Amino acid sequence: MTTMGRLSLGAMVIALTVLLGSAATTAAGPLDTPGYAKAFACSACHGFAGTSRADTIPVLAGMPAWYLKKAIEDYASGKRPAAEMEPYAKMVKELGVDDVAGYFAAQKKETTPLTPDAAAVARGRAASAPCAGCHGPAGKGDPAKGVPDLTGQPAGYLLNQMLLFKADRRSPGDAALRDLKAAIRPIPEATLADLAAYYSSLK
Amino acid sequence: MTAATRRQFLKSSGAGLGLLITGAAGCAAPLRGDFSPKKGRRVVVIGGGWGGATAAKYVRLGDPSIDVVLLEPNKEFVSCPFSNLVLSGVRTIESLTRGYDGLRRHGVRIYHAEASAIEPDRRRVRVGEGYLEYDRLVVSPGVEFQWEQIEGLAQARETVLHAWKAGPQTVALARQIQSMPDGGVFVLTIPPAAYRCPPGPYERVCQVAWYLKNNKPKSKLIVLDANQDIISKKGLFLAAWKMYPAIEYRASSKVAKVDPSTREVTTDFGDRVRYDVVNVIPPQRAGTIAVQADLVGGDKRWCEVDHVTYESAKHKNIHVVGDATIGIPVPKSGTIANAMGKIAASAVVHLLNGKQPPAMAPVNVCYSWVSDREAMAVINAYRIQSGKVVQIEQKLTPGHSIAIAQNAVGWTTSIWNDILG
Repeated sequence: MTTMGRLSLGAMVIALTVLLGSAATTAAGPLDTPGYAKAFACSACHGFAGTSRADTIPVLAGMPAWYLKKAIEDYASGKRPAAEMEPYAKMVKELGVDDVAGYFAAQKKETTPLTPDAAAVARGRAASAPCAGCHGPAGKGDPAKGVPDLTGQPAGYLLNQMLLFKADRRSPGDAALRDLKAAIRPIPEATLADLAAYYSSLK
Repeated sequence: MTAATRRQFLKSSGAGLGLLITGAAGCAAPLRGDFSPKKGRRVVVIGGGWGGATAAKYVRLGDPSIDVVLLEPNKEFVSCPFSNLVLSGVRTIESLTRGYDGLRRHGVRIYHAEASAIEPDRRRVRVGEGYLEYDRLVVSPGVEFQWEQIEGLAQARETVLHAWKAGPQTVALARQIQSMPDGGVFVLTIPPAAYRCPPGPYERVCQVAWYLKNNKPKSKLIVLDANQDIISKKGLFLAAWKMYPAIEYRASSKVAKVDPSTREVTTDFGDRVRYDVVNVIPPQRAGTIAVQADLVGGDKRWCEVDHVTYESAKHKNIHVVGDATIGIPVPKSGTIANAMGKIAASAVVHLLNGKQPPAMAPVNVCYSWVSDREAMAVINAYRIQSGKVVQIEQKLTPGHSIAIAQNAVGWTTSIWNDILG
């Protein structure tokens, strides 16, 4: 056997090892992730691995576990009244919210594929100063204070949540949200739509 | 193979002889012999609808080393959910139509051909003159109509439409409604449960009534329901029907006969109802392949399955998903078929890797459109308890609204992508 032959044989062994190694990892991946199958409870509406394509349904891919767990808790208890979420929230709690939240948090953060109107984004940016105080100049929120990341969520979802806050129909009476609701109440719906477009456009 | 199944196989494979099959490459050539010899582990999926297409994709997502072959005669997927909106002209059929290229990108190999028989003992699916070997088979055959249950229906299939499988019939029924004179009578007949999409007929009533109200206000809409009452979302539908005085709903009115020459349907009580346009939704059973392959239970209509793996109660290594199943306390809905596809795929991947499948229950949401812009919904969550699917909770939306209709649109956007993207 020539040196050349020995080298290529060595390279083949390495290539084969890499190939087998990667195949084994891929096969083991979803099967051994406890949240993978449990997240099937969410994917019909929120998309595979939480990659929602819809305007009024939030993206879960890359959502921090603390926020998803809070949302599930609030939907299950009826604090966030929503017929379209309450049964699923109860189901996720039974399945194990830590597994489900951990699964979505481990996904690469996705932003909505829907592009908001550029003029609305510009108007929203100009009107965003009152939000930046808590959500930060880049809209990334502050986990330490329980303030969520707004960036890249679909505009329809962001607008619907602001309208629920405005009408005090999301977490009514929650002291932690009193200032937020007071800030949103005087803002006209058209401006809320602009704000939604702006935060949706941020990556 | 038992004598009975062998006879069924011979009969059905004979029926498949001489069929022209379009192969994966798109060329029309008969598939003969073992037309795609199995090398590694393989899953074959029969039926590319809500359950089957989802299962095919999710087996590949769960373990890309498994070869997945999908058998689906249609070149395009047409969504049954939302197809009632085509009857009212609110949606086009094109807006409900998707291709299968997304599945191909996941490595699913697709033959646009019809499975003609299953040989469980040899783990083979017959496709006309050819066959395919499998390690595990997922059967998602949808429903077939029991034409023989209504006198005159089999002969009148070209003009008395069901429009209960979205596609050409949906478009043709929309045209019949458009051609009906103002002041005409539209008759819709609903089969006894169980049938595909329990709220579907009542949503159809809303859509046709909305169209008539806006375009032919002197017309009448008579609903002949074989069931004793509205079987799904009754309160929500009755609230919506208040918008449409043209609706006349008759419970316990099972249609026994249809006669296009006199334009009459007759109920099993002998009541005759004259129509200008009739829409007969026939009684249903599991798709033909499931019946031929002896996957149906004692009722000869539907397939019993394990609640965790969806493996057939009749044959090993064959999983059945979607509307063809029975015995699980879930509706025959698109969301359920999609959920079953995912769970069965996960079970198949676990079993092929020598692992215990996780006990995961399905979820359901059924949106119904009550006008051109408003919808309502029923939501069901389930758990697995002692190996069986049990409902945790059912909730209805408080009423119908534009906001719920927006969520309905969001649901289709996400779920069509979940199935095919």
